[in-house]
Amino acid sequence: MNTTIEEIPVPQRRDWKELTGGFLIRHIMVVVMLLIVAFFAYRSARFATPDNLTNILIAAAPFALIALGQTLVILTGGIDLSVGSVMAASAMAAAWTAKNAGDNLMLPLLAAVVTGLLAGSINGLIVSRFGVPPFITTLGMLTLASGIAYVIGDGAPINGLPTSFGSFANTQILGLTFPVILMIIAILVLAFIMKRTNYGLRVYAIGGNRLAAEIAGVRSRSILFSVYAISGVLAGLSGLMLASRVITGAPNLGQGYELDAIAAVVIGGASLMGGRGTVWGTAVGLLLIQTINNGLDLLLVPAYWQSVIKGVIIVAAVGVDVWAARRGRR
Amino acid sequence: MKVSTVRSDDSIPVIPMLECSGITMSFGGIPVLRGITFTLEPGTVTALAGENGAGKSTLMKIASGQYRPDDGEVRVRGQHLHSGNTQAAYSLGVAIVPQELASIPELMVYENLFIGRELRNNFGVLDRRSMIKAASGYLEDFGLDTDPKTRMGALPVGVRQIIEIIKATNRGARVLLLDEPTSAIAEREVARLARIVRSLRDQGVAILFTTHKMEEIRAMADRVVVLRDGKLVSDTPLADITDDGIVTAMIGRELDQLFPDRPESGADTVLEVDNVVIAQGSEPISFSVKRGEILGLAGLVGAGRTELIECIYGIRKPVSGTVRVSGTPLKAGAPLSSIARKLAIVPEDRKGAGAVLSLSVLDNATLPRIAAFSKFGIIQGRKRRETIGAIMKSMRLKSDGLDQHLENLSGGNQQKVVFGRWLTGQVDALLLDEPTRGVDVGARSEIYRIITELSSAGMAVVMASSDMPEILSLSHRAFVMRELGVVGELDRAQLDCPNVQDTIFRLASGQSAAPVKDTTP
Repeated sequence: MNTTIEEIPVPQRRDWKELTGGFLIRHIMVVVMLLIVAFFAYRSARFATPDNLTNILIAAAPFALIALGQTLVILTGGIDLSVGSVMAASAMAAAWTAKNAGDNLMLPLLAAVVTGLLAGSINGLIVSRFGVPPFITTLGMLTLASGIAYVIGDGAPINGLPTSFGSFANTQILGLTFPVILMIIAILVLAFIMKRTNYGLRVYAIGGNRLAAEIAGVRSRSILFSVYAISGVLAGLSGLMLASRVITGAPNLGQGYELDAIAAVVIGGASLMGGRGTVWGTAVGLLLIQTINNGLDLLLVPAYWQSVIKGVIIVAAVGVDVWAARRGRR
Repeated sequence: MKVSTVRSDDSIPVIPMLECSGITMSFGGIPVLRGITFTLEPGTVTALAGENGAGKSTLMKIASGQYRPDDGEVRVRGQHLHSGNTQAAYSLGVAIVPQELASIPELMVYENLFIGRELRNNFGVLDRRSMIKAASGYLEDFGLDTDPKTRMGALPVGVRQIIEIIKATNRGARVLLLDEPTSAIAEREVARLARIVRSLRDQGVAILFTTHKMEEIRAMADRVVVLRDGKLVSDTPLADITDDGIVTAMIGRELDQLFPDRPESGADTVLEVDNVVIAQGSEPISFSVKRGEILGLAGLVGAGRTELIECIYGIRKPVSGTVRVSGTPLKAGAPLSSIARKLAIVPEDRKGAGAVLSLSVLDNATLPRIAAFSKFGIIQGRKRRETIGAIMKSMRLKSDGLDQHLENLSGGNQQKVVFGRWLTGQVDALLLDEPTRGVDVGARSEIYRIITELSSAGMAVVMASSDMPEILSLSHRAFVMRELGVVGELDRAQLDCPNVQDTIFRLASGQSAAPVKDTTP
């Protein structure tokens, strides 16, 4: 009965077919994505062009930041519903500052980041210290931050900003706009943090089993606090980028973005129970949603139908992922 | 035992209620049950005895249709049971009362009793009044004075269990499977349970219950079936077997091989527990553990063993008192400082508190000493892989490599990871809470080997366990706990006495002449 295996066995060599099959199943979302890309490229001549690719990336950038923040929050088993409103509040704060500070670019940037950080920290504090469920906490913040956005503009958008305010979104570096570069950097940095640092491992650990993590010496409260704070800061930056693109602060900006961000994370394979998911997954989920948006636009599908189709694709994509996960594990 | 098939209608042979034949099952290549064959007759109570990991619960789950055996067949009153279908088992009259009770705590007692077959009035609306009335009748029949309008979750486990039994038998269960019915209930409740079991037996119900406690077998059963290591080793009427016979059958000759030799303990004190009061009004606890010494904590469920361990480690804040490791006091309620003081814990609830199942072996093992594997917060991949690989090799971990997620490992291997993750650094005192719960026999002997190796390497070990042989064979010294206090201490010589189990049981249940408070309500 004591079959003692002295060494940790190396995974056995599997035949080629099984290997590729396993690979495809593990990266099922990339496969789905490629199929969708192929479909659009076949149907629309304008889809597979460098210009259009750039368009997709530009549209993805503001979503990317909040989806990344959302990824961390969801990994801990929480959810951040407030990101859309925090974007609006930060955008309004930045616009207000820009209007009053003239050509100084640091002040609006600071205003947006601080607003986001403040909102995120309040979320984090309430969730980690007082144990209020994240859903409730951030639902409250959603309403609160949206109110603040309107208060800042006195119920109206802030127009007539100095043109320099547009440089956040419209400056180009190496042919890419600043938000796109920021998105790429954010993805790379967060992917590294989540995969290779103490912090990342701890986030996964408290999402997987908070009590076990605490017993192993993880300070779960500070980690929980931090993910909401990070999500807030990223929402602040995202709001600034959106406002800068149109050089206007609109209090209804970012409305409903939280849902697309959550969809991107979930399509990326994260579990809403926490502990499972990756930054790369979210990046793929994000590009998937943006590709669908863009492709349907090019095919001149009416907006309401786009919404219907997107809804179906989101659920179907996650359904495929759940199926693949079950296959992959066996 | 085979029963002849029914030939004519006028001769009424006793059709067995439940027949298991050749049940074989393995999990992940490890055999759990090997060709189990037995039958249950109507109006009998059978004890299914065996040590932890003998395969009792698995057999119960197969008999109730929850698991599909790899081989073999279950027949209920002559009909084949399609496994993997609890509903089918239910309609054939097999009901299981699992260890983790399946009642709905937020609903009231009568709602729990009638769920799924609610009474309705002529308008199709719930007839609560009739249900309450019927429910209070049932409760009375079973000797419970509980109000049917009590919330289920507010009741003690023992009462909830009886309500589960009522629920099952009301729905026509003729075969009642009770999985560890007494593991979580108080002494007084055991007597009541035994009474109910006997009265159901007299009504012709066939009852099978699992246990590893001798007293319960004597109190309830007519017959005892013993499993060891997945094999049926004994199946006899209770009258034909002695207590010793049952124990020998349960433990087998393996007891000697199961436990390694106990090394000598050292001289200098490592862990000191000084007047720790676990809860308001409980007795203060003081003791010290030497280098290389294993202190066993025995007692019934709820006696305070887990609470004491948690107080020492700092997951739970005691009312008062201090814990010192090598002379330095620990900060209460701060696991991180305990780890820094070279204290380690293997908690009772592996899935809930020990391991993060969604993480890999590597990540789980990194967690407690993450700083040792990183520079500026960045994990040093090679270093940790080497260190942890070597430790898991010494643990004889069976896995597909360090990147395998813990949820795909067996209980025993998960436990090895929970042990091994501490060994990436120096440990002075090791706290173990039920170290072999849910661990199969093969892995258990390895865990015993690990425990003794660690203690002989100089760790002070405190081990809480409900497994009597574990306490008796591994500890240098043992405490018996009751009501959050220590009620007795046994040294090595006393632990070797033949009647020591009885002594421990008396102390644990408060029946001894030892200075124990009277607790009659």
